[in-house]
Amino acid sequence: MEFALNATARRKALRGAMAGLSVAALMSANVLGANAQDITFWAQPQGDLLAYQDLFDNLTSQFRDQTGINVSVEVINWSVAFNTWLTVAQGGAAPDCADMYWLHAFVGIGGGKYGPRPLTDYLDQWPTLDQDFYEGALTDVRFNNEFYGIPWRVDIRPLIYRTDLLAEAGIDHPPQTWDEIVEDGLKLTQRDANGNVSRWGFAPGTNNAAQVMLPYYWQAGGQIMSDDGKTATIDNEAMRTALKFLQDLVHVHKIASPEMFESSNDAVANFTGGQVAMIGSMGSGIGEQLARDYPEMEGKWDFAINPEGPENRDSYSGGGYWGVLQGSQNVEACVEWIKFLSTPENMQVISETTGTASPRRAVMESPYWTDADWKKQVAETLNYGHTSQHPTSVWTALASPEPGAVLYDLVYNTVIIGNDIDAEIVQAQTRLQAELDRANAR
Amino acid sequence: MTRQKYLFCYLMVAPAILITLALGVYPMIYSLWMSFVEYDLLRIQQFGTPFVGLENYAAVFADPRFLQTLSSTIIFTALSVTGVLAFGLILSQLLNASYRGRTAMRMLVCVPWFVPPAVASAIWMWLLNTERSPITQMLQGMGLIDGNIRYLTDPTTWGPFSIPMLSIVAVRVWNGLPFAVIFLLAALQSIPRSLYEAAEVDGASMLQKFWYVTLPMLRPMLAILATLLIIGGFGSFEINYIMTGGGPQNLTNVMAVYSYQQAYSFFRFDLASTASGVILILTGFISVFYLRSQFKKVA
Repeated sequence: MEFALNATARRKALRGAMAGLSVAALMSANVLGANAQDITFWAQPQGDLLAYQDLFDNLTSQFRDQTGINVSVEVINWSVAFNTWLTVAQGGAAPDCADMYWLHAFVGIGGGKYGPRPLTDYLDQWPTLDQDFYEGALTDVRFNNEFYGIPWRVDIRPLIYRTDLLAEAGIDHPPQTWDEIVEDGLKLTQRDANGNVSRWGFAPGTNNAAQVMLPYYWQAGGQIMSDDGKTATIDNEAMRTALKFLQDLVHVHKIASPEMFESSNDAVANFTGGQVAMIGSMGSGIGEQLARDYPEMEGKWDFAINPEGPENRDSYSGGGYWGVLQGSQNVEACVEWIKFLSTPENMQVISETTGTASPRRAVMESPYWTDADWKKQVAETLNYGHTSQHPTSVWTALASPEPGAVLYDLVYNTVIIGNDIDAEIVQAQTRLQAELDRANAR
Repeated sequence: MTRQKYLFCYLMVAPAILITLALGVYPMIYSLWMSFVEYDLLRIQQFGTPFVGLENYAAVFADPRFLQTLSSTIIFTALSVTGVLAFGLILSQLLNASYRGRTAMRMLVCVPWFVPPAVASAIWMWLLNTERSPITQMLQGMGLIDGNIRYLTDPTTWGPFSIPMLSIVAVRVWNGLPFAVIFLLAALQSIPRSLYEAAEVDGASMLQKFWYVTLPMLRPMLAILATLLIIGGFGSFEINYIMTGGGPQNLTNVMAVYSYQQAYSFFRFDLASTASGVILILTGFISVFYLRSQFKKVA
């Protein structure tokens, strides 16, 4: 009896224990389920594609170990990136968070319903943001008093020059002022017996007209529009000065090619082939490309901070940022992910793997960015970075490198065709204001 | 035919019809609708897509750049269609003749067809680069020219013609020639030998045989080819966009490029659809004329 009672008691105890274990298992499964979260993240590839994918495999794996959050990364090819983001900004299928660009345009198109989502409420997650990041890069992630994410790459554009060609022409340092650009350009431009130019002394930039003009306009002290993005401000002396300088390079000094804005103009090929000796505003990404793909060019080129204009030596600065999309149900998890990506260690690894300049000061001060002179010059130029983003959703259309865009027409008509600068500025100012009104109509 | 057989036939063509309706007809009608409303991406969230009637058409026809683009499109199409048909006729005759190595020649002529227009554009951009063009270097080496030729960038014009436009047309002809040659070769091979033998008996010269036998027999094929090439020419995009982006000074811009720029650079999908609508109307007219002429013949 005692045995039977004991047996019954044991069975009861066993049942109780089983039930308890089941409940515990279910509870723990629920707890785990609550923590296990899937977020989708889209990004455009940078640098070597395989290395880029490995990098994100490692980062997502570390992040999952730390937080239990699964990040599903989808790489969007650059060839379809613009159309993808345009679709997303109009209500197409969006990821939770992403590596994005052209914040102002996509926010405007989304109209607060789609596209990038403000993260102003989460700004306290990065308490030392202003000290940690370059100012120019932070301007890119702010629009209409809202904060949209963390900048992770900078398209900064210093001057690039052929050290061998400068030495050959007896020039011992890159130009420091606009006047020196002309002086050096005259020495470096070469023509054959038939008068064909075999080498241009200077190219103000690559073949995007608006982007070529911008740094010179800023260096002359100009701004394209008012801080609120409502008033066009290009009818001024700074614009006249910048356009006159660029026009003279082509028509008076004849040290810059009149083909500079045409599609067939290949600035990198011209530089490596020795058909142009200096490019005034060149994306720093070419540094990595030259070091990797052009070993024969080693020691024959270098970067320098932009020569000083009448007011300053501002440099063009664009870039990309990590942000969250409207409609995401996983905002907190995305913020965690972005916080994880934006740690100094991870930004260091990302910068080294992709070869892109980092907006985080600590990364640009690291041994990786100080082991070659050209890298130091890139870091130095970041101190002069002037954001290429402007506080209006129509900016992308204004600065498009296509005939019909306001700034393209202004620059092409004056610098290449040689039209009257004053008349063109007046016309461009009117057109620019009409575009700003279009973007600001509410 | 029995009812079941009819049903079977309809069932077989139904997927093709559905796909054509979904991917061809619906987008076309939707695009036409967009040309009658305001479809500005920067305003759409606030203002929607209000009906504006013919305002978009008035806007594009008031834009001097569009008018220049329209004229460039017509010139580009006329030159490239003429070039493809003229060279196509010559080459197809050459490939129809009997000689050793004819098969290799036929293969060689087909090569440009295997090259997608985007790749062809990249190759020709390199070949026609002002400073590095191997063609220029060869011509200079032969002592034929002194200066560089700015194939893709010289803004000098002679009436409606310019070197960049002619260069783009040449690339288009190079890329599109095999298409015409293959069709014309097939048509040539279907001409009965007896017609040539009769002409020879009548003492016709080679030119007379071409003029009085070959050309009349090729006319239906030439008409089909011309129609297809004109429609393709009006919608041409890749070569113009990649090689010149419409430049220099908008000289090589065509309507498809204008439409793309309006949509994807300036976010004006309404104006882009309007430009596409003009292309549709023009190609529609050409197709209607062609179909009417075919129906007349059948009647």
